[in-house]
Amino acid sequence: MRFIKTKEEGLGENYLELHYNEVDNETREYIFRIEGSLATIEGTCDDMRVTVPVTDVLYFESVDRRTFAYTEDRTVEFREPLKDLLDRFGDTGFIRISKSAIVNVYKVDHLQGDLNMRVLIFLKNGEKLVMNRGYRKEFFAQLEKIRGKNKA
Amino acid sequence: MKLITRKNFLSIVCISFTFMVTGKLIFERLIGHTDRYYTENILLCLGFCIMIPAVLSVHYYLQRFPLLPVLIVQYLAVAAVTLGIVAAVDSATGTDTNAYRDMIVSVTIPYVAGAVLYYAAFFRQVKKANAVLAELSAELS
Repeated sequence: MRFIKTKEEGLGENYLELHYNEVDNETREYIFRIEGSLATIEGTCDDMRVTVPVTDVLYFESVDRRTFAYTEDRTVEFREPLKDLLDRFGDTGFIRISKSAIVNVYKVDHLQGDLNMRVLIFLKNGEKLVMNRGYRKEFFAQLEKIRGKNKA
Repeated sequence: MKLITRKNFLSIVCISFTFMVTGKLIFERLIGHTDRYYTENILLCLGFCIMIPAVLSVHYYLQRFPLLPVLIVQYLAVAAVTLGIVAAVDSATGTDTNAYRDMIVSVTIPYVAGAVLYYAAFFRQVKKANAVLAELSAELS
């Protein structure tokens, strides 16, 4: 499959267009991944209904049976449990880092290990999260999987 | 790394014991050494082969605690058991005057070496993950 990027001056909104003759496995895989990346989630922020592109989410966190999504500038509350969010967006770069949090790897700046074998996750907005030792193996495996997919 | 559970504990002990005893025999044959305390040392090998997988198996269940205290407590527990065994053997058959010191050294060296390797593998894994993250960021920009 070829990939063509075209710069258009004065375009109102960026868009992706897929040209195909037949939906083969490769095309299906791209459609699946793009649809996942373009997905949005609905929740409440300051008692108002809001829609957030899933790619804007830095991480999801569960606190007292309530689920929150944190973006650069706001916190959105959802009714959906973390497990369901992971099922929906696991293929778009979200990985579990503790019992109560899922991080968007594309928003991770770097990792740092400490003497207690915990991994500190520094996000691109400067926030710091802690990955529990029990989730480390799964995190690294998922990271490799994402890299493999991106290379394919 | 494979998780040590009740199901595979015995097979891990047997495999470790086989390797350790075979290594001991080959090494002694190569240097032409005859072990005067053959039975005691073989039983000691068995003790190590039970104790080390036992320590590693509980490690998984202690993951919610900070690692350093866990390592220290585990080391102290292993040292205490070792000293207890030496004391029991000492009261039954008598031991060398340096037996306590030698046994502590014998436990400490593999324990520290294992901990160093574990840390090295961990930091290498983090470094590798950072390289992957940098790769993903480069793809996005």
